[in-house]
Amino acid sequence: MSADAHGEIIIDKEIDIIVVRKTVRDVAAKLNFGITDVTRIVTAASELARNVFLYAGSGVMKWRVLNSSVAVGMELIFIDHGPGIADLEQVMHEGYSSSGGLGLGLPGSRRLMDELEITSQVGKGTTVTIKKWRRRYQ
Amino acid sequence: MTSESISVIRIHDVLLVTMPPDPDDTSVTILQEKVLNAMERYRVKGLVLDISAVQTMDSFFARVVAETAQMVVLMGGKTVIAGMQPSVAITATQLGLTLGGALTALNADLALDMISDTFRRGR
Ligand SMILES: Nc1ncnc2c1ncn2[C@@H]1O[C@H](COP(=O)(O)OP(=O)(O)OP(=O)(O)O)[C@@H](O)[C@H]1O
Ligand SMILES: [Mg+2]
Repeated sequence: MSADAHGEIIIDKEIDIIVVRKTVRDVAAKLNFGITDVTRIVTAASELARNVFLYAGSGVMKWRVLNSSVAVGMELIFIDHGPGIADLEQVMHEGYSSSGGLGLGLPGSRRLMDELEITSQVGKGTTVTIKKWRRRYQ
Repeated sequence: MTSESISVIRIHDVLLVTMPPDPDDTSVTILQEKVLNAMERYRVKGLVLDISAVQTMDSFFARVVAETAQMVVLMGGKTVIAGMQPSVAITATQLGLTLGGALTALNADLALDMISDTFRRGR
């Protein structure tokens, strides 16, 4: 996989959550992440894609390969133009859900990934960026 | 992936459901219905959910599994979740998932034994 590989997936049907999973699994495996890290990345992507579909109705996931001198990484950005989130601290708190869910998607994804960044504006939409790194040399 | 590819089969007095690698939300929801209907129709002792092929278990899937297990208990049965892959178990734990106290087993064979044993002891 080339060092600047990237792509985009539109999320506007429930089945797109599966497309996101398959794409992310494929890319993560090609970047030689171990099976547990692949599972972590795919699971976080599944959570965030479902949030886009459930709360915003539609959005996109952009993925790209990251390169530093010591590590290879994978970045996923979930962008929607849905209702946005008023209180970011609240939604990052485990157990908070406005939909009768477990309230694990966002806080759980933060634990599964190396980095999670969320920005949101009420009435404008939400962007969640996650990253996972793998050292280049053992 | 369609819901048809998830089947509920009966082995003696236990229902066995084998999950595909990447179940979508609709299939998971339909599965719950199928299981509860089969529980009622066959009057079995319990449910074995074989997830050995499952590669991704997220909060939605886990919630439906936990709910189904609880409903099976309400109907007088036991649920055993069988064959979770190590990578899935590690990820589920970090994500914060619990399976609502459903029993677990290394594989479907052991899970089938567990349901029979439970009921033998209970009599
Ligand atoms: N893209 C989004 N747009 C608007 N609100 C969102 C978005 N993502 C999450 N939220 C809000 O944040 C809350 C917490 O999200 P999180 O994914 O952690 O839990 P959940 O979706 O409620 O339940 P779970 O993911 O465990 O099934 C949601 O209930 C929702 O109110
Ligand atoms: Mg969620």
